[in-house]
Amino acid sequence: MHGLFKWSSKWWPGVIPLVIFWGIAAWTSTATVEGDLAARSNAALKDTVLDKRRISVDGRDVTFAANAFSEDGRLSAVASVDAVPGVRLVNDETRLVPEAKPFVWSAERDVVRVTLGGNAPLPSSKSKLVEAAKAGLGGVEVADQMALARGAPQRFDTVALLLLDQIGKLKDGKITLTDTKIALAGMARELGGREAIAAALKNLPEGYSVAANDIKAPPYVFQAYKDPVAVTLTLTGYVPDNNVHAALVAAAGRKFFSEKVVDNLKASVGAPSGFAAAVVPALGALSRLSTGTLVVSDREVKLSGDALYDAAAGQIRDGLGKDFPQGWQYKAEVTVKPAAAPVDPTVCQQLFSEILSKGKIRFESGKADIVPDSAGLLDRLIETAMRCPNATIEVAGHTDGDGEEATNRTLSERRAQAVVDYLVRAGLPASRFAPIGYGSTQPVAGNDSEDGKAQNRRIEFVVK
Amino acid sequence: MMALATFFWGWLLAALLLGFGMGWIAVVHRAQGVSRMWMRWLALLAIALLAASFSRIVPGRFGYWLDLFLVMFALYLVGCAIGSWLRDRVVSRSRPAN
Repeated sequence: MHGLFKWSSKWWPGVIPLVIFWGIAAWTSTATVEGDLAARSNAALKDTVLDKRRISVDGRDVTFAANAFSEDGRLSAVASVDAVPGVRLVNDETRLVPEAKPFVWSAERDVVRVTLGGNAPLPSSKSKLVEAAKAGLGGVEVADQMALARGAPQRFDTVALLLLDQIGKLKDGKITLTDTKIALAGMARELGGREAIAAALKNLPEGYSVAANDIKAPPYVFQAYKDPVAVTLTLTGYVPDNNVHAALVAAAGRKFFSEKVVDNLKASVGAPSGFAAAVVPALGALSRLSTGTLVVSDREVKLSGDALYDAAAGQIRDGLGKDFPQGWQYKAEVTVKPAAAPVDPTVCQQLFSEILSKGKIRFESGKADIVPDSAGLLDRLIETAMRCPNATIEVAGHTDGDGEEATNRTLSERRAQAVVDYLVRAGLPASRFAPIGYGSTQPVAGNDSEDGKAQNRRIEFVVK
Repeated sequence: MMALATFFWGWLLAALLLGFGMGWIAVVHRAQGVSRMWMRWLALLAIALLAASFSRIVPGRFGYWLDLFLVMFALYLVGCAIGSWLRDRVVSRSRPAN
């Protein structure tokens, strides 16, 4: 031992090359050592959920910065790095992800994209939401502006996914989740979308509630176009259900005596209340126009077109709104068609016959009250009567063979008188018309069938 | 530190062999040895460096370089001790033959 101590005093010259070796070793190995430690530290954190992870190595010291989602997670992440073999020190710069109070998440849709904003609790739920948005909205650009934060309510992912599903039903709008309160605003993509969203929101997990639902439905549009050239009535847009659909088409058939009804209607939910009660009289008003368009958009009825004569235009402008259910608005842009050229009485007679061969003036059963459905037909007759101002016209009422002849004659007289009264109210001089009731004395068909009786119940215009 | 030896084991071996060579020579070397006083100071310095290493007060790369130096130095000393001891055995065995 003594020898070793004695010899050791002579070991010093080797220290000089040793220092040189050390210098070279330090020069060559530092970068590789640092790279290896960084790689193994990152590998040790592979399964740990962290945000903004940053690892830098200086010599054997690791500077570890990250945002953790819980205190336990933070401590275990630091311990994992500390346990990496070769690491000398860990400079712990980790923090907890900030807590959001209130925890707000939102999804906003505009024309071109869906923007996910606010906070998400974990990177996994953030990516899950982005993926779900991309998958569910097919082709729409998804912009991810979500930040990570703690403090999300329970079952956040489930709720956010359900809300994302609803954003697909919007044309534009925003859904905001503030803690457990949900606010929705915007415009539904389709009719019924608003109702579908409201139904889906009933499946929210317990504890969540809808604070505000301001989703608007697109306007409920019904249109009718009377085309005098093609002699058609085209119905487009929506009706609430098949019953209303059938009723409207039937009403159109009664009111438009000569036009073919082209039915392009579709049934859809979301109709304003009183839809049928407003549309049927509006169709009646349209039937009185020579050409015209009826547009019903939500509770607004717009009628535009040409009336056949002045008084009709006035009646249409003023009369229709009164029949509407409460809350409905009526706008009429009715002008008067230029008066047709006068014709001589023979032509007038032909025109009357032609009109009355297409449709019949109808009355309440057993009464002399003209049904409103006949207004369009009467307007055409009045227009024709105006074209031959010098002709005197016999308005002849006929009934079928049922019942007492005296009663039939009285009824036919009263009905002929009702028609003349109608013509006079339209501005024609009473002196030009002679109401006559023939009862069932001049049948045009046999009274032994319903069809024949229907043909016999009629009003005829005979130019004298 | 040992986990990282794969990156510089060659230099550790070199330090060990250098020490072995130096120890081998030191037994028969006639040069002036380090004085007892110097030895004490050097030992003190070594202890101070060891203390600095174990207390990890030297930061970053300097800390790594210090550790590396101490490991190489320790192996050098071990090499020296083995070298001197072996040389001494060789010398003392050959002496009776003379």
